[in-house]
Amino acid sequence: MTARAVSRWPVIVWLGALVACAAIIGKTDFTADLSAFLPRAPTPAQEVLVRQLRDGVVSRLVLIAIEGGTPAALASASRRLAAGLRQQPESFAAISNGEDSGRGEDRGFLWRNRYVLSPAVRTGHFSSADLRLALEDNLRLLGSPAGLLMQRSLPGDPSGEMLRLVDQFAGVARPDTRDGVWFSQDGTRALLVAQTRAAGYDIDAQERAVALIQRIYANTTEAPTREAQTLLLSGPAVFAVTTRARIKTDAWRFSVIATTLVAVLLLVLYRSPRVLLLGLAPVASGALAGVAAVSLGFGAVHGITLGFGATLIGEAVDYAIYLFTQIVPGSTPAATLTRIWPTLQLGLLTSLCGFAALLLTGFPGLAQLGLFSMTGLVVAAMVTRWVLPALVPAGFAVHAAAGLAPQVALVVQRASLLRYPLLLVTVLAVAFLVAHRAPFWSDELASLSPIAARDRALDEQLRRDIGAPDVRHLVVINARDEDDALAASERIAAVLERAVARGHLDGFESPAAYLPSLATQRARQAAVPEPAQLRENLSAAQRGLPFRPGLFEPFLQAAAAAKVQPLLNRASLQGTALALKLDTLLVKNPGDGAMGWTAMLPLRAVRDAAAIGRDLAELPDHGAVLIDLKRESDALYRTYRGEVITYSLLGSAAIVLLLLINLRSPRRVIEVLTPLAAAVIVTFSLLVLRGNLLSIFHLVGLLLVVAIGSNYALFFARPAANSDEHARTVVSLLFANVTTLIGFGLLAFSEVPILYAIGSTVGIGALLSLAFSAILITRPPHQAVSPA
Amino acid sequence: MQNLAQVQSASGSFTERKHLAILNAPLDSSGTLIYTAPGRLEKHTRLPKPETLVLEQDKLVIEYKDRNQRRTLALQDYPVIWALVESIRSTLAGDLKTLQRFYRTHLAGSESQWRLSLIPAESNIGTVVREIHIGGSRNRVRTIEVIETAGDRSLMTIAGDTP
Repeated sequence: MTARAVSRWPVIVWLGALVACAAIIGKTDFTADLSAFLPRAPTPAQEVLVRQLRDGVVSRLVLIAIEGGTPAALASASRRLAAGLRQQPESFAAISNGEDSGRGEDRGFLWRNRYVLSPAVRTGHFSSADLRLALEDNLRLLGSPAGLLMQRSLPGDPSGEMLRLVDQFAGVARPDTRDGVWFSQDGTRALLVAQTRAAGYDIDAQERAVALIQRIYANTTEAPTREAQTLLLSGPAVFAVTTRARIKTDAWRFSVIATTLVAVLLLVLYRSPRVLLLGLAPVASGALAGVAAVSLGFGAVHGITLGFGATLIGEAVDYAIYLFTQIVPGSTPAATLTRIWPTLQLGLLTSLCGFAALLLTGFPGLAQLGLFSMTGLVVAAMVTRWVLPALVPAGFAVHAAAGLAPQVALVVQRASLLRYPLLLVTVLAVAFLVAHRAPFWSDELASLSPIAARDRALDEQLRRDIGAPDVRHLVVINARDEDDALAASERIAAVLERAVARGHLDGFESPAAYLPSLATQRARQAAVPEPAQLRENLSAAQRGLPFRPGLFEPFLQAAAAAKVQPLLNRASLQGTALALKLDTLLVKNPGDGAMGWTAMLPLRAVRDAAAIGRDLAELPDHGAVLIDLKRESDALYRTYRGEVITYSLLGSAAIVLLLLINLRSPRRVIEVLTPLAAAVIVTFSLLVLRGNLLSIFHLVGLLLVVAIGSNYALFFARPAANSDEHARTVVSLLFANVTTLIGFGLLAFSEVPILYAIGSTVGIGALLSLAFSAILITRPPHQAVSPA
Repeated sequence: MQNLAQVQSASGSFTERKHLAILNAPLDSSGTLIYTAPGRLEKHTRLPKPETLVLEQDKLVIEYKDRNQRRTLALQDYPVIWALVESIRSTLAGDLKTLQRFYRTHLAGSESQWRLSLIPAESNIGTVVREIHIGGSRNRVRTIEVIETAGDRSLMTIAGDTP
């Protein structure tokens, strides 16, 4: 039978499927949303965390620094940049650089509404006794330099509500000021903070915002200073933008380099451009099918999944190599396939067991990787099995394979001499891992972050400079509507107030400080006495004190006005920086569930979280939750890692079972698995030895090692008709290994931690798997009888 | 100024009288001033009511012992107060450079009887403080007179100085 006769249809089906995949991919959304690497079914606390990471205000901050040159030049650059950015209100909600702009509005708002905003306004606050105390304090304050603080406001505010309000909002750390703008403590960097309108996960919009900052900076800086100054940008939004760009360029660059190198290698081997193209067909088809499958299964494809295009080359290219290299001169591809297909199929199934572990984790990012790899491998194997034989030119054989075979056979024969040294190395590695005191695994969600270490260092530096609080503890409550949320915040604030007094924390922020609930506003209005009564109280309080008569007329007028002023709502804060603050603390939840609003109260310097939690539990609202974002996120990560490890072990068990069923001999299963296990153990030790704290991505790398290494071991263990065939097999493995090393070895040069982790793990692991298989797997006994 | 710069610590009793437009009688106070080089200034007021002011680096701490109250001001948030307290501290420290960040300075008289005039250099301070006159002899500060734009003024007299 000729190959030609059987294989028209597969080629037609294949081409049709490729067109379909291309059509699906044409309509696919590609995302770089980092929350894809957060789990799917979080607890309520984790939901808050995930929402904060996705579109919380923290995710919208761009930290900007200008460094280099004289402080005066830096300050003026900061002013010009800030002025330019303030003219882009559709992109930026706020620009802060320490200049007074905006603070005037804030003060105006606080001053106008001091009697409904001040927490001190209660019944009795304006009694003659309390006013007397306030006036005596004023007199004393007037004697000291601090008297300047209130001298001008005294006639309108003898009870000092304004000072109280300013104090309340001033407790937060702020950067140093020089020449009226923010500077780092050492005076080398001018600092700005921009808050984008777009949410953190909207990376396209963030990219435009970052580009806008750079353009405005370039336009507002004169040529001579531009030479000396550099613009530094950081923050979650900037990270998202640069990470996406970097993953794109790295994935693209490494894919191109790897493909080129592999292509050159294969061209040298095959000496036929047509066969070279055919050899790449399984990978290309697999990648297309993988992307299409992820697109259908998840609705969008993550950039990191695409990054694995390069890794798929590592395994899928092998299939064609096994086929082409093992064609015995004079035989047909179809005949060769009949010979190697069972082994190839078993190798494929083993890999699928490994990747299925990823598919089952609750981590959308990893599940995408799993689906991508599984689809890619199945399609690549199918193309190798049914499409390639029809297209390989008749009489094709790899001559280099024949040339190399004797040398390779010799090396493999000698390799078994290393059995005992290898055993020793493996035992040492196990001993090292057992004796290793420090943890192997990183416990932090940050280890999943695709941000390069040096970017993170810059971010930490700028954050310290700016004094941006690292929001860690947060009290969160859900409520039916805005006013309920504010009222609940007030009850929580009362509890926190007591906790501050007991020293459980330093302070907190509450949305109700910016906008009290309607009930509280009404209560405060009611606490202001009627004008005639207030006048009487004041004159009684003033008796015998040296204040000029009639001095406090403005106070009497303001108090009377406050009593009847319209109540404040969100719109009243329009145009102030306080509105922005309120927006961050009081948010409307997406969708319209019964609990449509969430209030957040960030805490400062928490010393006894447990005590605060207990106090909050006594509130009638229930539902008030104290969240430790760091602990939550790390717990999240640990659960997650546990899950991935469990599924990986299940995957490994499935592989053992699969091999047992197929090879039907426990001895041979052990023979196949021993080199794999040794390779994984030694790779793991090498990674730990290099001082890496291992992340989930290293684990994924080890899974890939098992997937690829199992092919090597299976081919080594496969009974061969004669030693020539065995040598051919080994040569095909060698080629396959070199391509894998090219694919993954290149990733080890990536600056993206994920790509680096997987690249280095698989690079080392694949090399060791092949070497260990050569050393440990003895050729099946029956072929020793047929030496050439 | 160099004479002053060599003083490591100094203390003395003070009396201060303030004339404020919003009051129909002057405010009198008295107590102790303690200066420790390079930049710590304490003002302990005893009369009419106890009050402690401590100025160190860029923080001003005000404490009312009898009311158990304490306020810390970050001076960069209050440029006018900063300028005002700096006029005393920097003069005591003989720190002309810092003084000139806030004021145009003019020194007159002889070593035994000098008079340092400070005119605010920045407009935001100038809206509150018109001029400050500091009088002294050798390395001792004797009088500090602050004249505000609104017509308010104060005069502090320091005595019993023990460098």
